[in-house]
Amino acid sequence: MKTILLLEDLPEIRAWLKTLVTQVFPDGQISEAARVHDALELVSAIKFDLALVDLGLPDGSGVDVVEKLRETQSECQSVVVTIHDDDEHLFPALQAGAFGYILKEQPRELITEQLQRMAQGEPPLSPSIARRVIAYFAAQSKPQQPDLMPHVSLTERESEVLLRVAKGFTLPEIGVQLGLSRHTIADYVKQIYRKLNVSSRAEAALEAQRLGLFRR
Amino acid sequence: MARNRFFDGPLAPTLALAALLWLGLAAPLARAQAQPLAFADALAADDSGLGRFPVESAQRVVNLPDDWARTRPHRGTPVWYRLHFDATGADSRSDLLGLYLERACANVEIQLNGQRLHAVGRMSEPISLDCQRPLLVPLPGALLQERGNTLDLRLAGYALEQVASHQRAGALAAPLIGPYSQLSARLARDTLLAVTLPLAASALLLLTGALAWLIGRSRRRDSHLGYFGALAIGWALLTARLWWHDVPLANFDSELLLASLPAVVALAAVQFLLHFAGWRSRPIEVAQYAQCVAVPASLLVAGPLRLHMIASSWYALLVLQVLSAMAFYLWTARRARRRDFWVMTVLLGVCAAMVVLELAAQQQLLPSPWRQLPSLVMPLAFVAMGWHLVHQYGRALQTAEESRQALESRVREASAEMEKNYAQMAELRVEQVTQQERKRIAADLHDDLGAKLLTIVHTSESERISTLAREALEEMRLSVRGLTGKPVKLIDALGDWRAEVVGRLSQTGVEGEWSAPSEDMPQTLSARAYVQTTRILREAVNNIIKHSGASRCSIRCLIDSGDFQLAIQDNGKGIPLELDGRLDRGHGMASMKHRAKQLHGQCLVESGPGYGTVIRLTIPLERHTANR
Repeated sequence: MKTILLLEDLPEIRAWLKTLVTQVFPDGQISEAARVHDALELVSAIKFDLALVDLGLPDGSGVDVVEKLRETQSECQSVVVTIHDDDEHLFPALQAGAFGYILKEQPRELITEQLQRMAQGEPPLSPSIARRVIAYFAAQSKPQQPDLMPHVSLTERESEVLLRVAKGFTLPEIGVQLGLSRHTIADYVKQIYRKLNVSSRAEAALEAQRLGLFRR
Repeated sequence: MARNRFFDGPLAPTLALAALLWLGLAAPLARAQAQPLAFADALAADDSGLGRFPVESAQRVVNLPDDWARTRPHRGTPVWYRLHFDATGADSRSDLLGLYLERACANVEIQLNGQRLHAVGRMSEPISLDCQRPLLVPLPGALLQERGNTLDLRLAGYALEQVASHQRAGALAAPLIGPYSQLSARLARDTLLAVTLPLAASALLLLTGALAWLIGRSRRRDSHLGYFGALAIGWALLTARLWWHDVPLANFDSELLLASLPAVVALAAVQFLLHFAGWRSRPIEVAQYAQCVAVPASLLVAGPLRLHMIASSWYALLVLQVLSAMAFYLWTARRARRRDFWVMTVLLGVCAAMVVLELAAQQQLLPSPWRQLPSLVMPLAFVAMGWHLVHQYGRALQTAEESRQALESRVREASAEMEKNYAQMAELRVEQVTQQERKRIAADLHDDLGAKLLTIVHTSESERISTLAREALEEMRLSVRGLTGKPVKLIDALGDWRAEVVGRLSQTGVEGEWSAPSEDMPQTLSARAYVQTTRILREAVNNIIKHSGASRCSIRCLIDSGDFQLAIQDNGKGIPLELDGRLDRGHGMASMKHRAKQLHGQCLVESGPGYGTVIRLTIPLERHTANR
């Protein structure tokens, strides 16, 4: 049985998502929330396996919930469900610890398939997000305060996968190209998401420390 | 400045003119002429109030010229002089004879052979003094005898002790008797030198002084001009005796006034020099004002009989003060390397020389024409100085005007610069605000309209409405991207399209084949072109999946001579010929063509039953590249 958090402020969409989730995870136990505040309360009370989180909410951003989940329930897979298809919106959520995202307007069958893939440990990664991740790690690799910063870098393979995703190749295609199984590629993607989160956190910590030093 | 300052300004011509005038007028003195009869001595007797020469009183012989200070110290009563002469020779008959008194510092009554011939001024207190003016009286032939003529002169004047200046003490110059015409020429010359020219110079000085005073008063920075004006006016007033003979005051009072005035003039002179040197001293100022009071006070206390002594002492002290101030000024000006140092040195030198001459003249140490020199040259030197100061003031004004104009133009430039900067800032601000507003609109569209359309997409019973809402959502996103989107690199766009197309085809079991340049390329697409092309591609792929029944689909992208070309080919059943026109709409062909046209490109559809469909899209790239 899976425990699933569903954070969405529009009741119709929430209901629609719920039917979708029920369809993919028939035995899933679904907790619904319409506001960040309620979701955070649920997070502190219930242990979730999966969280579908909307970003633009009346009382804040779903990114906070993603962060909280990453901090307190590292097993839980956060997925951003959003109407924003641009990486400007998505990237912060991925940095906060989300494993992939779903665009709300996509047809039901597509979303269903994506949810299933995610349940199987194959998070989606679009070319634009891949490019953003590449750019992020390229900027990180530049030597800046190496002593203070726990340096997180991508392996050659991970970089290779990212580059190919950026060029529009699907994960199965990349698997064939690199002579690796579909699952191995999916693991790489998950690893990339994780590293993005770790690196972002380190960066944030460093930034906080720098601000602190500055204040002192 | 390379030019010698001495020849600049009004100074040099003024001095040259004065020198010429003086030489021209003084020269005839040296010329040999038929000398008129001059008297070396005369009989003198005190007036006894009879109205005639007191033959019965004690008489004595005095040398002429007779200076009362020497021959009659402490005595101011009227004196009679008796002269004897013969009117011999042809001159007496053909020419009118005249008696010429170059200087009789007193009022004169003239009697010839007992007949009253002429009288000048008031004989009783206050005696009207006109010491400078020469006197020529014709001697009528009818009263003259061939021999043994008696000429009686009655003089009323003041003893030296009673006047401040030796020049106003009683005295009689040697009388001359000669042809009237010859003497009148001499009269004209002496009057000009002793009276007219000093008067004219004083008048000029008065005007210059008034001008300087007005300028100095109006500007605190030019206070030295004010003091100079006071100095000039004071000096001009000192010569008042030249034209104001009949003062309705007791002699002591008028002498008191005249003797006090130099203290004021000295104050003005010293303050002018100090201010001009840029140095102010309150104690000196106070001391000088106190001096202005002390001078008349001391004279009052001393009384009429010690007037000359006290006044002379004061004069010496005042001259010392002024000379010190001059020395101080010149020292400062030399140290400050003032441009007008030499001009002021010459002028002050002339003034100092004239002051010394004046002092000498008061002590009767100078022969006749030189005695008048200070009263003529001093005002002229002051006038020259005044003109120099006004000239300097004008130049300073000119400089100030120029720098003001320079400043004004700088201010204009600065404000133009500021306006420009402000305009730029405003423009920047407008851009920022526009950007913010776009973001806000985008966010609103997403949150409100997007959410509602989304609800329709997922809750509508009708597939058509759901599709329409999805399309509307995509349109909305297009608008939002158009509002806020940045240009997309073509290589990135190709990656996005490949991921979408290949992903969808593989999901639906259609074998997809994608070929596109994979090397990095510099071209970009505007946000609008990117979104429109995405829509065309999506529509085409939709049609293939939903309507064509194709098993294979190939998408070829290439960049050819500045155009981006996209060819989508399937092996499906094609678009039925007979329904071609209507199917266009149903399959979104029209909207695809419309979108291509919006991008200044074209979209061609080739289809035949059994031959599949080829959609060729061409968009010019240059425009978008150029628009970056």
